[in-house]
Amino acid sequence: MESVEQDGEQVNRDDLILQQQREIEREISDSTPLVSDQLPLTCLTAEYDGDAVFTAKIQTLASKYKYMRRTRPDGNCFFRAFAYSYLEWLISNKAAYDKFRSIAETSKDKLIQLGFPSFTLEDFHGTFMEVINRVNPHNPGGVEKNQNELHTIFNEQGYSDYVIVYLRLMTSGKLQEDAEFYQHFIEGDMTIEEFRHQEVEPMFKESDHIHIIALSSALGVGVRVEYLDRAEGGTVKAHDFPEGAQPMVFLIYRPGHYDILYPN
Amino acid sequence: MSTPARRRLMRDFKRLQEDPPTGVSGAPTDNNIMIWNAVIFGPHDTPFEDGTFKLTIEFTEEYPNKPPTVRFVSKVFHPNVYADGGICLDILQNRWSPTYDVSAILTSIQSLLSDPNPNSPANSTAAQLYKENRREYEKRVKACVEQSFID
Repeated sequence: MESVEQDGEQVNRDDLILQQQREIEREISDSTPLVSDQLPLTCLTAEYDGDAVFTAKIQTLASKYKYMRRTRPDGNCFFRAFAYSYLEWLISNKAAYDKFRSIAETSKDKLIQLGFPSFTLEDFHGTFMEVINRVNPHNPGGVEKNQNELHTIFNEQGYSDYVIVYLRLMTSGKLQEDAEFYQHFIEGDMTIEEFRHQEVEPMFKESDHIHIIALSSALGVGVRVEYLDRAEGGTVKAHDFPEGAQPMVFLIYRPGHYDILYPN
Repeated sequence: MSTPARRRLMRDFKRLQEDPPTGVSGAPTDNNIMIWNAVIFGPHDTPFEDGTFKLTIEFTEEYPNKPPTVRFVSKVFHPNVYADGGICLDILQNRWSPTYDVSAILTSIQSLLSDPNPNSPANSTAAQLYKENRREYEKRVKACVEQSFID
């Protein structure tokens, strides 16, 4: 939405910015899978070049978590990490899977009631359910087969991104439903409505606490986030969402990015 | 080859045919579903009334996760339309939601014609006239309405 005068003519600067942005994105997508294989936490050490604070904190984390999976840093990392990690947990928890599946099934009508356009919502919901059904723990083949299926699906951009779109819409719906509560989390004078349209529904927009709280509450899923940052002291701070919930999804946050963790 | 973007564009087209919004129309070009031609009729009771404004919409394989590029082909004198036909509209940029379809895009552009946002100008002359000399603004708009019959 910027324009500059050039030789008396208005130049469409949006196009130039967009072009540059796409090049950067292409570089990232060529070098990082959407979701990586399991890696030891010590793989992080190299990124901090022997920094004493980070090295000590990574050691602490490595004693609690056996693996991590990296997600592509494209602004969707929280939603992608959350979805992968939660579905992977559900694969080995049949009762919880059945419960989640019925929540997912009825969520579409709820969102339509909240005012989301049914025509496009159906498209995303259809894909979302297809993904959930493809990793159904009642399918023949067992846990390992489902895990492989999950990994394949999440590295297929079309499926992976549609799952994220749908989770973003569920998050947005939750913010709308409990607008009075969530308004307190918003800085400045943006309304919940504006925040949903600008920071939640568009793809590639990074997530903050408010996104995590809304999604984890909407689905009733406990999320623990371990914060790996420069703060002094050897301990890594962890935060559970919603507060006091039993975590099923474990994530590591480094400023600007979420990856998946596997507790011992 | 069927991809999520192409599948979704077929759906968008079907909906646009079955449930066409007033005053807009659009269809994929003959041999490429990723490039559409569209027409927006100038809304009633605005200086754009009676105009038929042609546009092109270019989609990428990332649609609907990313917005398409929409451009007026017809000359449009408007505070939020660039000289090259590019459109400055929040839902086509930082407020894009994957829940918008072609129908929603075209109706949003149609409302932009009625309600310009002079605080975010793509055409500073149009924005200034819109704010300070509405009569001259309307005269310039009517000139492009007439031009749109010839194009």
